[in-house]
Order: sequence, then structure tokens, then C-alpha cells
Amino acid sequence: MQRVGDGGSLNAQEQLFLSVAEQLSRPLLALSRLGELAAGDPALAAEQWPVVHTLAESSLQLVESYALGLRVQGKVMPLALEPVTVSSLLYDTAEQLKPLARQYGVELEIDTGPRTLPVLADRAVLQAAFESLGQVFVAAQAEAETPGSVRLMAHRSRYGVVAGLYGDTARLGADSLRRAHLVRGRARQPFQQFVSGPAAGVFVADNLLRTLEAHLHVARYHHLNGLAATLRPSHQLQLI
Amino acid sequence: MHILLIEPDALQARAYAAALEQAGHTVARAAGAQSAVHAADEQAPDAAVLELQLSGHNGVEFLYEFRSYPEWLHVPVILHTFVPPDELAFAATLKSELGVRRILYKSATKLADLCAAVLELAPAKGVR
Repeated sequence: MQRVGDGGSLNAQEQLFLSVAEQLSRPLLALSRLGELAAGDPALAAEQWPVVHTLAESSLQLVESYALGLRVQGKVMPLALEPVTVSSLLYDTAEQLKPLARQYGVELEIDTGPRTLPVLADRAVLQAAFESLGQVFVAAQAEAETPGSVRLMAHRSRYGVVAGLYGDTARLGADSLRRAHLVRGRARQPFQQFVSGPAAGVFVADNLLRTLEAHLHVARYHHLNGLAATLRPSHQLQLI
Repeated sequence: MHILLIEPDALQARAYAAALEQAGHTVARAAGAQSAVHAADEQAPDAAVLELQLSGHNGVEFLYEFRSYPEWLHVPVILHTFVPPDELAFAATLKSELGVRRILYKSATKLADLCAAVLELAPAKGVR
């Protein structure tokens, strides 16, 4: 759905800010409406408390990730590069996403394969990127006509370690990410075939990954489609 | 009234459905256009509340499909959407050609306002 007037005067950072703001309006709206519903009904308020907590946490995560990206890009905060074990990072990411996935009735699975190499990265930046991306995948799976699971996966390739999120969906085509980048800030649904909202988490994740000299790409692994990044292996720990 | 609620976000849908049920309506929920058509087919709604931004086929595509069936030609539809009114260039078309009765901007619409808008549709139901 294109915006009226095209929105063409926004620069890339403003487009990202607009996406994040519009993304955040969704959980905030849900919180506000749940609050209305629960007012005067203590039993309902108590029942909705876990939803409120989860929505607040996921909103906070997106804001923190966006701010982290700005701080690192602006060199306000230096990268703390270290060898990072991708399997452990994906487990931690899944733990953070679990409450949101539970609220939306989406299953999370982890598949890191045997002996995935450590990568050279800033652990906080990398985890923030995958959590932001994970929020989009959870929402997308919850909206699917036949909801499936979200799989956090890593595998070795000739170029490094490919880590990302995948789903049993054909809605992530080969050029969908390229088109989404082109229309971000100009279309309300840059990933319309995948998710209904602004998908801000995808762009926040991509910004964070770019600070690590990686970027998101559309990936395919067996019958699964996803968004992944190819990360540099850490040579320091390859013998472990 | 029996309301078809087409809302992609499950948590928002939960709140809207609960409010409409508290107001005395029954609600069938659908997250996307395809499941909405199936739900309409099975449950014969008296009215529909629709978010334009759906994944896959969007709300406008759904409306064209919905209106192509004679039995759903006159079912009143309320747009309840995240798209701000000033970005809805085709609002007139939605109303004149696709039978949209009201356009409500979600962020500015309390649950009570949504229920009131649905209630306004009730008298029109018999005047088909």
C-alpha cells in the first residue's frame, strides 16, 4: 500500500525512524485497548497482565535495538568484537522471543547444525539484530493463513557462518528484501507478502548487521525461506 | 449482529472481539483475506470490520472479492485501520464503489467508538 505523496523527501535514517515509530504504535495501541477493556474488570486485568508485560518488553527491545544501531553507527559506542558462539547466541535470542511467540501462538525452533564456527562480532549488537528480526517473523507467522513455526538457524557456508531466521513460507521471494529496502518509508507495508505492518525490525536488524560488516539477505535452506546474514568466522577459536 | 472481524494482529483482535462481544454481538475472527472469505462463507456475517493492511492480499483486494458475491454485496463494512485518513486517497472509492460505511483511524478510535460505529449499522441491516 503506497503512501499518498510518496514520502520521497525522507532520508534513509528518517525512513527507518518512521518505520520504527509506526511499528511501535501497534503494541502501544494494543496496550491502550487492553487497558480500556480491563478498566473496571479486575479479573480481566489480571488475565491480560502477561500480554501487557510481553508487549511492553518487545517494544522496549525494538527501541533499544534502534538506539544501539544509532550509537554504534555514530561511533558513540565502540564495537566490542569478540569470538561469539552462534548456537549459544541463537538460544539466548529464542529465550528472549519466547514470551512474544507464546502470546501469538507461534513455535520457535533452533537448528544450529554440528560444529558451527564461532564468529567475530559484538555479541550485544548481533543478538539485538536477531531479536528485532525475530519479532517480525513471529508476527508474520501468526498472520499466516496456515501458521507455522519460526526456526533460528545457523550453518556453515564457503563464505562464513550463515545465521538467520526461517519459516515455512514461500512469501519471502528472491527480490523481496531488495524491494522492501526500496519502498521503506514510502510504503506502509514494505514486506506486504510477508507481514502486514512496517516490518521495522527487519531494517533495524539490517542496520545493526551492517555495523558488523554483514547484511541481511534472503536465504533458502532446504524447504525453508528466511532472512539471514553471513558472518565472518573467528579464526582465533577455530581449533576448539 | 454477527460481525466478521478481519484483523491481522491476534492481540488487537482479541481486544476488539471482546469489546464487541461485551456490546452484545457475536464475532468471527480472520487474520487475512483468504480466511475472511472462508469465514464469511461459513458464517454469513451481518457486518464486517476490516483492517486494510493485511499480509498477502490487502484489504482493498479483499473488498473487491467480497463484493463480487451477490450475497455479500450489501453487507456493511467498517474500515478500522492504521492508515491515517490523509493517506487514504481512495477513500471516496471505498465508500462509493465498495460499500464502506465508516473509516475509523485505529489510533484515534476507542473501543467504545468502534462499538458505537457497529451499532449504527444495525438499523441499516433491514434496508437492503
